[in-house]
Amino acid sequence: MGPEELRAALAPALGPSLVGVEPFEGFAARVRFRREGATELFRAVHGLGNTHLSMVAGIDWVDHREVLYIVWSDAAKQYTLLSADLPADDPHIETASGVWPSANWHERETWELVDITFDHHPDLRHLLTPDGYEFRPLLRSFKIHEPEELEVKVRHV
Amino acid sequence: MSEMWINMGPQHPMTHGLWNLRVKIDGEVIVDVDPELGYLHRGIEKISEDRHYNEVVTLMDRTCYVAGLAWEHLYIIASEKALHIEPPERAEYLRVMCEEFQRLGSHIMWFSAFVVDIGLLTPLLYGMRDRDLVLDLFQSYTGARMTYEYMRVGGVRNDLPPGFTDRARTVLDWLMARFDEYDKLTLGSDIFHKRCDNLGILKANDCIAHGVTGPMLRSAGVKRDLRKDRPYAAYDRVEFDVAGADSADVTGRYLVRMEEMRQSVRILRQVLDWLDRNPGPVMARELPRWLGAPYAPVGREGYLLKRNYPKGVGFSSIEEPHGEAQAYIVNEGGEHPYRVKLKSPVFSNISAARQYLVGYRVADIPPIMGSVDVCIGESDR
Repeated sequence: MGPEELRAALAPALGPSLVGVEPFEGFAARVRFRREGATELFRAVHGLGNTHLSMVAGIDWVDHREVLYIVWSDAAKQYTLLSADLPADDPHIETASGVWPSANWHERETWELVDITFDHHPDLRHLLTPDGYEFRPLLRSFKIHEPEELEVKVRHV
Repeated sequence: MSEMWINMGPQHPMTHGLWNLRVKIDGEVIVDVDPELGYLHRGIEKISEDRHYNEVVTLMDRTCYVAGLAWEHLYIIASEKALHIEPPERAEYLRVMCEEFQRLGSHIMWFSAFVVDIGLLTPLLYGMRDRDLVLDLFQSYTGARMTYEYMRVGGVRNDLPPGFTDRARTVLDWLMARFDEYDKLTLGSDIFHKRCDNLGILKANDCIAHGVTGPMLRSAGVKRDLRKDRPYAAYDRVEFDVAGADSADVTGRYLVRMEEMRQSVRILRQVLDWLDRNPGPVMARELPRWLGAPYAPVGREGYLLKRNYPKGVGFSSIEEPHGEAQAYIVNEGGEHPYRVKLKSPVFSNISAARQYLVGYRVADIPPIMGSVDVCIGESDR
């Protein structure tokens, strides 16, 4: 399914939440959306045969954050990239784990490392870092070459 | 009987790595499970943001220490796409050779560890002996047995030493005969069937919903293999069949992995023949000097590229020995990647633990988790 077909299939359900569908190397298309329409988009994309969610990732662009979802369609044998921009001061988006259960752990990881909150996530706990770990290591503001600042703050729970 | 939580890990014979499986039991029956990861989290994605592109290859070896070359391959494909560099064809074949030998090494390692989980000690020794032959081959052309640092952006570090392909063919012939021996030792044993048949069942729908890939998915009747579905490197130029089974249980996963090893040997024979017939460069001709490729000629524009290099995003997805591995690399024009996101198949396969463990007995946990082929290095990164 090419970008144009994908846009035609997604536009009715999403309306203004669909920012754009563009060609992207390695993917069938890159679907950019606003977080208000996240659940509708996940359902619509899942309904188009993209039943396998490969990963969820977050990127800190300093002035904003980007959350990525990579989904795979067995019929088309193609990946599709879904991405939404989130404001840096309030980075949160609806969870995709209701549509793809595999999103559960990927979202936990993205939350603890890139500080993107997933609303209504069933189990948003630390996964790779200790409980109570206050840092968000994959933010650009977290520097790894200043050891004196790296006093580990672990709240005992 | 009342229910209670017990910890299997972080130091436990079942774990094959540093992680903790919390199990809620009612008598002998598993009621709930909660895998805990993070004991081996080294922040590889974060450290990569502070390294040159070629320096990150060192980290990729440490991502999965039994499949280092597969992770190098994954990372290198994505960074070449992000940096708009094309490797020469011979390098692509060499990378396929690396990945398939690595699959053999990883699967034999899995076999050796798995048979111990189900109480068969003899095949462990056979497996370790045969894996050493693969490691000897790695040593002869990369110089290392475990952390290879062989691939480079734009190609591979060096070509094969003289006589390598003949030695490799001898090893392949030896291994092919050994696989039948493995089958006799395991499938011919009553213990194996009593401990593996109809255990840890995860049907195709559950696999897909929970992101489970690799041999686990193929043993459930879904023949998804990225080497066939979305060919990368030279996989579109070699012939092989995708291994599959329908039982979706521990035995099915065993059968899939054994068949995959035979198919790897088939791929390797074709690749070795191709390498014999087609000498050529193993590094891209024009590379920016800042990439620091030690054996590559310096690009025409030389150092200027450092400031004017185009931005890009690289995505790669390969069939790693454990399943679908992905890398998403953002190049913002500097010497270091802006963001390196790695997706490990083991991470997703463990996350579905509740689906394939609940309802079975505590004594079933070692064979079931053994059949998942857990590698904590790559799931924690």
